[in-house]
Order: sequence, then structure tokens, then C-alpha cells
Amino acid sequence: MKLRILLADDHEIVRRGLRALLEKHEGWEVCGEASDGREAVEKALQLNPDVVIVDIGMPNLNGLDTTRQLLQHDPHFKVIVLTITDSDQVIREALDAGARGFVLKSDAARDLVSAVEALQNKRMFFTPRVNDLVLAGFLEKGQTVSRNEAPKLPTLTAREREITQLLAEGNSSKEVASLLNLSTKTVETHRSNIMRKLSFHSIRDLVVYAIKNNLIQIELPPPPPKTPTGPGPTAA
Amino acid sequence: MTIRILLVDDHPIVRQGLKTLLEGHSDWEVIGEASDGAEAVEKAKDLSPDVMVLDVTMPRMNGLEACRVLRQECPALEILFVTQHDSPQMMREALEAGARGYVVKSNAARDLLAAVDAVSQHRVFTALKGSNVAELR
Repeated sequence: MKLRILLADDHEIVRRGLRALLEKHEGWEVCGEASDGREAVEKALQLNPDVVIVDIGMPNLNGLDTTRQLLQHDPHFKVIVLTITDSDQVIREALDAGARGFVLKSDAARDLVSAVEALQNKRMFFTPRVNDLVLAGFLEKGQTVSRNEAPKLPTLTAREREITQLLAEGNSSKEVASLLNLSTKTVETHRSNIMRKLSFHSIRDLVVYAIKNNLIQIELPPPPPKTPTGPGPTAA
Repeated sequence: MTIRILLVDDHPIVRQGLKTLLEGHSDWEVIGEASDGAEAVEKAKDLSPDVMVLDVTMPRMNGLEACRVLRQECPALEILFVTQHDSPQMMREALEAGARGYVVKSNAARDLLAAVDAVSQHRVFTALKGSNVAELR
């Protein structure tokens, strides 16, 4: 029987690339695709795939919250998170969310097949950097991992995180309500709770929070080209 | 006549996606790939492609710098940016650097074929995410 894989990434071009890569492997099939986290959850529940590959930076519902929601529905879902960064924070959040694989997008052509094979064989797959972080945390009984952390902000519920992402993406309370099938009043109550919990006073604070906590991702423009600035360094 | 295309993006998986899309067109051939701007310049000089599909944000040399170099080194080459940056400012910079086309990555599956077709015929093709496609002769 074929191993069935669901792909979730907001870029069709990336999904095409992933599909081409995975379908070269005999015995695997891509049974569905989703372009955001919400669609990924819906399709996973419909299609019951063996492996779900989710991009971390998707609109509407990011990959980490998608992973959390999937595992809440059914802890047997096997999720591989695709990410553009393997910062300590992202690694920790992916592990906390319950991902069983963690692959850098830049290395996907090399690592993704190994990651799916690992999950197929009931193992986990992480990049060397994740392994180092997990090992360091284990050896130092969590001291290394938590030592340099900023003071923790109050924890948002899954629903509050979802609403925070949608607000930070520029949706109004009314639009969020429509996307989540809630009343505008309910969304506004959540919004007030979020602002109160985080002691924020503006949507700008919320956007900064969403970026810092990987609820949304932004791409910065490339740095300007270096221009010659004279004969070179001079001694002070 | 076959249009010979060079693909430039630092993510192999994106290059693979672009390749599957472009190779659906019988008269087009992907003759090479590069993963940064410096490699793109080298390969363009070696392979003389008709069209280069070029990313903006890449290590070593970004796409804008590569485009400026290529304008000097390979004046016949047509350059089409396919980028994450859905920004009129970035689009203007790309065209000023000498590109003939600009497509946003999230819409590449929709716009890429029309864009390659246009730039291969030396027409300008630009499309931001929320805007209509603009094609100029």
C-alpha cells in the first residue's frame, strides 16, 4: 500500500517542487495539497494521510499552530515542519507543537526524502542543529535551553494565537470573525483578552509580537550593494 | 525555435517547482540552474541562455546585483525576476537594474508561463500579487 502524503505550503511553486521530489520515490503518493494551515487541517481530516508536510510560514494559520491543531484532532498524525530558519526558538516551538520531523527549506531537496523515510519507519528526523539543541538541553537538564530566554509572556490559547496571527496579517475583527465562523463580538472579546494578557495598547505591538513569535514571517529586502568608499580603512 | 532558460534560485526545491512548470511547454528548455547571483553570471556566460528566471534574495550576490552585471556582460539575455517581494519599489528597482519582467513567487504558477513568453519576445511583463498583469511592448 502506498504511503500517502499531504503537502501544505502557500507557494504553489514550492508544492510543485516538493511533489516532484516525493513522487520520484516508489511507493509514495501526494494525496493532497493545501495552501494554508486551515486548509491543511481540513484536508488532513478528510484524507487521513500517513505524513503531513507543513510549511511554518503560512497565512491564516501558521505551520506550528497547524501542527498543534492536527495533533489535537488525532495524535497519530505524523507531521514534518518545513522552515526557512532553524533558530533555537523555532526548533523549540516545533518540538513543543509535536512535529516529528524538522527540515530546512533550503535543504529540502536533500533531507525531505530521508525525513519521510524516517517517519515511515516510526522514527523522527531532525537537522543536526536540532539534535545538538535537544542533546544540550537533555545533558544540562534544560538549563542550557532556558538560560538565555527572555522573561516569558503570558501564554495565549490556541484560539488567541490564531486570532493574533489573523489580526497581525491585517484582517479586521469582522474579517477574522468571518474566517473563523465566529461572531464579531466574540472576536473582539478575544482581541481585548489578547491585548490585556500581553499588556499591549496598539495593533503595532501585536504585529511585532507576531513576528517575534513566528506567527507571521516577513522577508526583508536584500541589502544595498556595497559602494566603494575611498582608499580603504585608515588608522585612528 | 526553442527558448533556452537558466533558472536561478537558492532553494533547489523552488528550482524544481519552476522547472516542472516550464518544462510543460514543449518549445522551452531549462538548460541550467544556479543557486546564487555569482553562479548565475558564470553560467550565463558559459551557456548563453535566451531567458534567465532570477530570484532577488540569494547568498553571495543577490539578484539585483547579478542583473546589473549581466546587463553589461550578456546584453542579449532577457531577465525575468521571480521573487517573494510583492513590492512596487522592488519591482521598480528590478526594472531599473535591467530586467524585462517581474513576477511574485506566490503567483508564479499563474504568471510564469505568460511572463517567459513575453520576455522571450522582448516585451515587458510585470505582475504584483494584488494587481493586474501589465504587459508592455
